[in-house]
Amino acid sequence: MLFSIMRAHQNLLKIAALWSLAAMACGQAAGTGPAPGTAEKSWRLGAAFGYGQRTNPLIQSDDIPVLVDLDIAWFGKRWFFDNGDLGFTMHEGARSTTSLVARVNSDRVFFAKTNTRYVQLGYAANGVPPAQLINPAPVEPPDRDYAIELGVESLIDGDWGAATLRAFHDVSGTHRGYELAAYYSRRFTTGRFSFEPTVGASYKSDRLNDYYWGVHPDEASIALPEYHAGAGLNFEGGLVANYYFSRNLRFAMSVNYERLSDEIVGSPLTEENHVLAYFSGLAWTF
Amino acid sequence: MPKHVRLMVLWAFAVGLPAAAADVPAARLVVKPLLCVTDRDTPACSMTFEIRWKSEVAADYCLNDSAQPAPLRCWPGATTGTHSQPREVNEAFYYWLGIPGGAQRAAEVKIDVLRLDSADRRRERRMRHVWDVL
Repeated sequence: MLFSIMRAHQNLLKIAALWSLAAMACGQAAGTGPAPGTAEKSWRLGAAFGYGQRTNPLIQSDDIPVLVDLDIAWFGKRWFFDNGDLGFTMHEGARSTTSLVARVNSDRVFFAKTNTRYVQLGYAANGVPPAQLINPAPVEPPDRDYAIELGVESLIDGDWGAATLRAFHDVSGTHRGYELAAYYSRRFTTGRFSFEPTVGASYKSDRLNDYYWGVHPDEASIALPEYHAGAGLNFEGGLVANYYFSRNLRFAMSVNYERLSDEIVGSPLTEENHVLAYFSGLAWTF
Repeated sequence: MPKHVRLMVLWAFAVGLPAAAADVPAARLVVKPLLCVTDRDTPACSMTFEIRWKSEVAADYCLNDSAQPAPLRCWPGATTGTHSQPREVNEAFYYWLGIPGGAQRAAEVKIDVLRLDSADRRRERRMRHVWDVL
């Protein structure tokens, strides 16, 4: 039932618009809370140096090394820029903040470091070894474009922890799909040490999954059969830990595991069913 | 010596003498710990500060807390001293060493407070960019 509702992705923008209006109405009714970003510096600049990587589930591709983690953000009363995301805050209340956010889709990054591999194909029948060999065929993961997505994001927190709800739709005409996501996290602090576990799930529509993880008819070959990826749910869990040496310097460590949906894992383009990201190093906040 | 030169010398002494009289011998102040980390669940730190100071000149020294009007402790004619102080911390402050009743500081150490929670919850957004793993 839930999935059938979510499959009506044509209505997502309408839902987002209604969500936005409801959030604005809620903000007006509550009289709004303190203006965001007024008590702290508008800019947040930081850099972490260490070692880490994000595994790449795409075939014939390299894992993505992470040696530097930059943090560049600016927060105004309504507008904000957060490491590539551009947002406009519509509602700021005692318990939640709702913003319109424009971002770049994250799936595209896996298609940046690919290699061409030549495979020799043979035809076997009845368990008999290949009788006829054909010329090596190039197998190259297809190119995919970046997508600009627009959506609504609500940040909710309380004594129980913090939750993030997101709904994004492609507005660049790249995949024409959408993504819904929900995350829960809670930070624990003792002395100079803090750690924050996170769990979450993201539902990716059939159009989004098929654009990035499907093998389109014009890309199909003997080595890479045509595949249509449907909608699916990714689950993830992670942990970020910090030890603070001073206001500016800390030792940071993070690990995040994302289990990809069966629709993605079933694609001939994937060779792993998960994405594992980890990093540890020294981080400086200016 | 010309009259105007003598006047200039006298003026220089007149201006310089009060400052010299109020000078506090330099000292070295060491305090541990230096940082308090607060969060939504832990808005204050309960800390015990171990404070040591040392000077090459024996004098009357007082240890002060910038958040309190009265000195914490004074040492008459001393060149060194130690002090232990339990304290609740939720704002940055200074420990400083000076002479009794004086405002001039022979040495000071700032106790910093790092607040992890923010009034602007957008600052705690969770990213998922390839380069952003923290």
